Amino acid sequence: MHPLLQNRNSLFAYFFAWVPLGVMLGVVVSGAGHLDARATLAVIAPVTLLLSFVCLSPWFLCRSLPLNSTAQWRILAYHSIAAMLASSLVLLMVPFLLQLLTRFRPKIEQQFEPAMRALAGMCFLFYMLSVALHYMLQAVENSRQAEVLSREAELKALKAQVNPHFLFNSLNSISALTTVDPARAREMCVRLSDFLRNSLRMGERTSIPFGEELALANTYLDVEQVRFGKRLRVVQDFDSACQECEVPPLLVQPLVENAVKHGVASLTEGGEISLHAHVADGRLCFSVENHFDPDAPSQRKSGFGLVNVRNRLKARYGNAARLDVDVHDGTYRVQLSVPFTKEIRK
Amino acid sequence: MSIRALIADDEELARHILREYLANQPDIQIVGECDNGFATVKAISELKPDLLFLDVQMPKLDGFEVLELVDAKLAVVFVTAYDQYATKAFDAAAVDYLLKPFDLARFQSALDRVRQRLALPQPPTLAPAELRNAALPPGRHTERIVIRDGAKVHILPVAQIDYVEAQDDYLAFHSTGKSYLKQQTISSLEESLDPSQFIRVHRSFIVNLERIRKIEAYTKDARLAILADGSKIPVSRAGYLKLKEVMAHP
Repeated sequence: MHPLLQNRNSLFAYFFAWVPLGVMLGVVVSGAGHLDARATLAVIAPVTLLLSFVCLSPWFLCRSLPLNSTAQWRILAYHSIAAMLASSLVLLMVPFLLQLLTRFRPKIEQQFEPAMRALAGMCFLFYMLSVALHYMLQAVENSRQAEVLSREAELKALKAQVNPHFLFNSLNSISALTTVDPARAREMCVRLSDFLRNSLRMGERTSIPFGEELALANTYLDVEQVRFGKRLRVVQDFDSACQECEVPPLLVQPLVENAVKHGVASLTEGGEISLHAHVADGRLCFSVENHFDPDAPSQRKSGFGLVNVRNRLKARYGNAARLDVDVHDGTYRVQLSVPFTKEIRK
Repeated sequence: MSIRALIADDEELARHILREYLANQPDIQIVGECDNGFATVKAISELKPDLLFLDVQMPKLDGFEVLELVDAKLAVVFVTAYDQYATKAFDAAAVDYLLKPFDLARFQSALDRVRQRLALPQPPTLAPAELRNAALPPGRHTERIVIRDGAKVHILPVAQIDYVEAQDDYLAFHSTGKSYLKQQTISSLEESLDPSQFIRVHRSFIVNLERIRKIEAYTKDARLAILADGSKIPVSRAGYLKLKEVMAHP
């Protein structure tokens, strides 16, 4: 099915675009023949209508003759033949039209005769123009599809990613706790399982409420709290209005994980991580701020997490989302702002 | 004679496991515990341990940097959570390495290897710089140089280096008018630096490309690179070819 036929609006736009083309056709034909404006209109209007439908047909041929994998002579030959057939189809209609019109204009057949060639040429030209346009559409569509595919692949990679460092260090903490404090060891097992289960489950969804994102980030922080003890201090401040905003899954957790990995873990005395979120002007604003050691090697430059969050925001919101990073005096701050959207429940 | 052991890990619980496992080893005595790289370097020079349990990822200095800064002959057992590249390096250089979490049996076998190593009349020494190079993931380069100056430790980001000159067994790092000495070979340094930024222009010189202002002819085959601060660095024929190639394909 032709994509234009699937959408009423685009179909209207398409026919509307044919109005000036029809006028052009009329001017050429009336110039070549000996017809006045009304007679031209009577002939050209139905011809243009038919031609506009005929010019949708290259879509099928263009699909079976992709530009980059077909020999040029074949493309040219096939489309030329198709253009001739299409023009003939339109031209075949003309005698019938003229016959109908002889009732009002007895001499119309003779008057139109000299314009026949011009009309044939124009039909051929329009058809070929349409072929070119279809190839262009095809290229646009292909590149869009490629982009979607690559985004999906990237997302999959991210979802499958549980930081092995985090996992093994947590298991090591549990191993230590089994003799010191068995109850806490058990608690940490449960927290870690909660985290793994939830992040796996979230990976399957395309959109989740911000409140659930925060809950996951907190489960993560609970586990890290056991590992880092007093070194990890967390401050949180949220608007309750934030909870319902729909966001792409696993958006907050990577930011919090970065804050722990590159912030608190780089400081002997530890540091603070503060999470803030509020709703303003129809947008959800969220920030993660952490202390870090400015002398530590800057592993963040190529931070996979941040690049990925940025790409996913772009994929979901286009230019409507913002992600700003701000570094000063041993504080690293990531600020995120997205349009506030709620899920429409059926 | 008992083995004097030092534990270096920034996580209290991780240190606890080592303490617990070592409690049943009558021939091993824990002389200290450190929670960051600086403290570890200091403790090694003060306490002179025979054995070091070393975490790779620590605040201030990482495990490799610690080893670059100490010249004590000690047996090192790396203790790390996960590092797909570093394990190769450990295989070559460390007595053993333990991947967290590990059990008592695995720990025992590491200790057996330590005892064997320490029983040798001349325990083999590590080449820390080479070890570090081997642990760098492909495509990654050193971002900073750690240099020991008496009790002080300098951390020199590579972007601040103007040029490096080899002097016997030492390298002189020249940065903003100062120079720092470090025991390392010029080829191991060359290997760890980003080849698009640092060029070995001479048998004993590596230069930061961004500092070069112009190149002058000197003798028939040799040239001189004039740096932004006015320093003149000899450039050999091969060095000149390398420079030209890097400049042509930045």
